[in-house]
Amino acid sequence: MAIRVENLCFSYGERPILKNITLDISQGKFTVILGRNGSGKSTLLRLIAGLSEPDTGKITILGRDMQKLSLRERAKLIGFLPQQHRPVFPFSVEDMVLTGRASYISLMPKKQDKDKTAEALERVGIIHLKDRAFTELSGGEQQLVMVARVLAQNPEIILLDEPTSHLDLCYQSRLLSLIRELVNQGLTIIAVLHDPNIAFLYGDEFIFLKNGAIQPLENSQKPWDMQVLRHIYDTDFQSVAYGDKNLVIPLTSM
Amino acid sequence: MKRYILYLLPIPVLVLSVFIGPSGAVDSRQILIWLAKTIFSYHQDARINDTLIRAIIWDVRIPRILLAFLVGGALSSSGNALQSMFRNPLVCPYILGLSSGAAFGAALALATSRIPVQLSAFVFGILAVGISFFLARTKKSVSVVTMVLSGIVVSGIFTALLTIVQFMTDPFKLQTIVHWTMGNLHHAGWEKLRSSSLPIIAGMIGMFLLRWRMNVLSLGDDETRAVGLNPEIEKILILIPATLAASASVAAAGVIGLVGLVIPHTIRMMIGPDNTHSLPICFTFGGSFLLIVDNFSRTVASFEIPIGIFTTLIGGPFFIFLLKRLKVGWDI
Repeated sequence: MAIRVENLCFSYGERPILKNITLDISQGKFTVILGRNGSGKSTLLRLIAGLSEPDTGKITILGRDMQKLSLRERAKLIGFLPQQHRPVFPFSVEDMVLTGRASYISLMPKKQDKDKTAEALERVGIIHLKDRAFTELSGGEQQLVMVARVLAQNPEIILLDEPTSHLDLCYQSRLLSLIRELVNQGLTIIAVLHDPNIAFLYGDEFIFLKNGAIQPLENSQKPWDMQVLRHIYDTDFQSVAYGDKNLVIPLTSM
Repeated sequence: MKRYILYLLPIPVLVLSVFIGPSGAVDSRQILIWLAKTIFSYHQDARINDTLIRAIIWDVRIPRILLAFLVGGALSSSGNALQSMFRNPLVCPYILGLSSGAAFGAALALATSRIPVQLSAFVFGILAVGISFFLARTKKSVSVVTMVLSGIVVSGIFTALLTIVQFMTDPFKLQTIVHWTMGNLHHAGWEKLRSSSLPIIAGMIGMFLLRWRMNVLSLGDDETRAVGLNPEIEKILILIPATLAASASVAAAGVIGLVGLVIPHTIRMMIGPDNTHSLPICFTFGGSFLLIVDNFSRTVASFEIPIGIFTTLIGGPFFIFLLKRLKVGWDI
């Protein structure tokens, strides 16, 4: 088990965001968290990443209690890619990716950190961008740089918060294929995605959230079952067969 | 190549500055002969007044040159560090009320004549920054916006206190206070250099050691935490040496504006934002810049114009020129 979440609660002031979440996330799989806006998906991811503190509950990462891990230890286990990144200063791509090595560096990066940076850039296929200013890149290229940054961190688990939101179809497919490849190499990846079709095409396991609570599937139910999706998204869908899976088209009232 | 030039820039500037000054009593030839005599112990020339040259070079120019260089370097490096920390290129070392605190401290000392001006300015400068920081601290986090806001408030309070001191003091002391706030180096001497160099050098070493971590912090709190550093601790670690160096500079030379804002920008435009290079180059370039400006302010008129005025008059147009000439895409 890569991650175990037990009785997790989180609220902003008086407003509960996550209600008693308990779940297990398998190792070496691509798990997708789905749900409507405001359902608590990103909050759950932030809590697992250790960026926010839960009110109650326990998170175990690869058998280790998250609360007892230092930030550096945590960063070596989990890499987190936030939804948006807008650096103010025009850092070069190489410098951006190098910051992913922070948990291994006390004061100044060493040669091995620079080698790991180059390796991460190669892995993502953007080594040619290494001297370009991050701020001058397209949204898609920026996202790939941030993935390289997470890879330079050398974690065992990667959390991605809506990684495809601002990307065109080409970059979406490139990024998701890369995620698939990384999962095939043994990494555990958890992502919050908006589009259930993309999730079904690339994901292995699915977590549905509604109003801050997990919506478990019944035994015979598939994630792409109309009944499930209608309940999660409060929208009607038309189902389209695609291989052994089903894709869905939202029905409009027009 | 460009980096090496910027690293080595202080050498010619420091050396040439020894030959620049308002005194008509010595010329370059005499200085060269005196230097040769002092360093290599040869060449006797009865026409050269050793005592006078020694007094001008050793007691007046060299401490002033070194102080100007240190102050310029410290303000620029501090500005660079704080801009990274605040993730904002509009920040200068005075953002958290340092200059207002120091000005009040200096005014209080000048008005009461009971405490040393430099010490009082130094302590109140640090005090203002400390108050701003702790006011902005909520639970475990320190948000950049609340820090800037509390800096504005604390700065306003110290400015009001300064005005009260100015209002209540006699006209002669008022003139001294006003002159102090304009920033000047004409009281520079070995004693002042000694007392300010220690905190400046300590602050510089601190910032130098943390320069790569500034890169991490300048990407944002979440990004910093995600890669294993605690942004709150990093902010304190950077704020302490940056404040130490800037406060000691202000205490020694008064409020010298624009250097801490313009120089870090200029350096970033020239070599990029990587703090591993921009921070030390801010020191060498900022020091050289202030020294050149000070050379101007000492020689351009028959009376000495406060350097704070000159930094703005020279630095402002220079900065606008750079902004227009180099296409810089700040993403804010």
